[in-house]
Amino acid sequence: MNFKNHIFQVYVILFISIVISLTVNLLSSKPLPLLSKELEQAETIDFDTDKPILQIISLEQAREFYEKDILFLDARDEAYFNKGHIKGSLKNIFFMELLFNIESLQSKQDPLVVYCGDPGCGDSEDLAYNLQKAGFTKLYVFKGGWLEWSAAEYPSESIK
Amino acid sequence: MIKDYFKGPIILMSRLILGAVFIYASLDKILNPGDFAKIVGNYHVLPFGAENLLAIILPWVEFIVGVCLIIGVLIDGATILVILMNIVFIFAITQALARGISVECGCFSVSSEAGSAIGIKTILRDIGYLFLAYVVYYRKDHKIEFFPKSI
Repeated sequence: MNFKNHIFQVYVILFISIVISLTVNLLSSKPLPLLSKELEQAETIDFDTDKPILQIISLEQAREFYEKDILFLDARDEAYFNKGHIKGSLKNIFFMELLFNIESLQSKQDPLVVYCGDPGCGDSEDLAYNLQKAGFTKLYVFKGGWLEWSAAEYPSESIK
Repeated sequence: MIKDYFKGPIILMSRLILGAVFIYASLDKILNPGDFAKIVGNYHVLPFGAENLLAIILPWVEFIVGVCLIIGVLIDGATILVILMNIVFIFAITQALARGISVECGCFSVSSEAGSAIGIKTILRDIGYLFLAYVVYYRKDHKIEFFPKSI
């Protein structure tokens, strides 16, 4: 145990930090899972189920939702929304306003599709988690987002 | 050599500033690891899944490093960690700026207040901390250090 060795000191500090952090996390009232889980890809979609859902959907599945007039939510900033978005989708500028807008159209048990710019952006997942916290139970994240939708030339609109 | 000036109160000041900054930076993250994990995820540097682990451990490393610097224990190890962490922070911020990802800094607070987004200022601040760490690491005297005792 050579405490004068600088690298050994680094290991000691890291070891103490890891032990304390994992213990504190384990004992906390809301422990964080050590590895965050990726959302599951939906295989078949059961529109009539009563179970709570939070899944990822593909472009084709998103199209199917669109045909069924299910509400789409755009998680991007207003400027992107104005340039172009999936036809009929709601914008998310103020979360409370969005909640109000959704609830004026449908109940919390009705399905919602959330999307953002492209598969790399995390905003759609963040919004889906926030909606889940707010009590919405059927949430589908369209990972391909505006990038795939616009490339497929599916119905869209813009605000000028 | 500039290193010849690294003695006396300058060392103690640098240690106290760095220690206070790191402890202050760790507190909000320790209290809200979930929110911090989201911010880490937004930087898009870690493979999916690892951000939780980092969000649990990193704030405590910052806290312990801060305590070590202030109470004068394991100072060399703590300083190396300060340098490593700041290099990683600068890298993460630079790549986010370069890729045009707008992210909350997550440096001192996990809430998204105005002005907490990353920018050139954040990088300059981290470079400032790197300099303070350099001063401490190459210190000439070892006053108010309790463990390990040098000489």
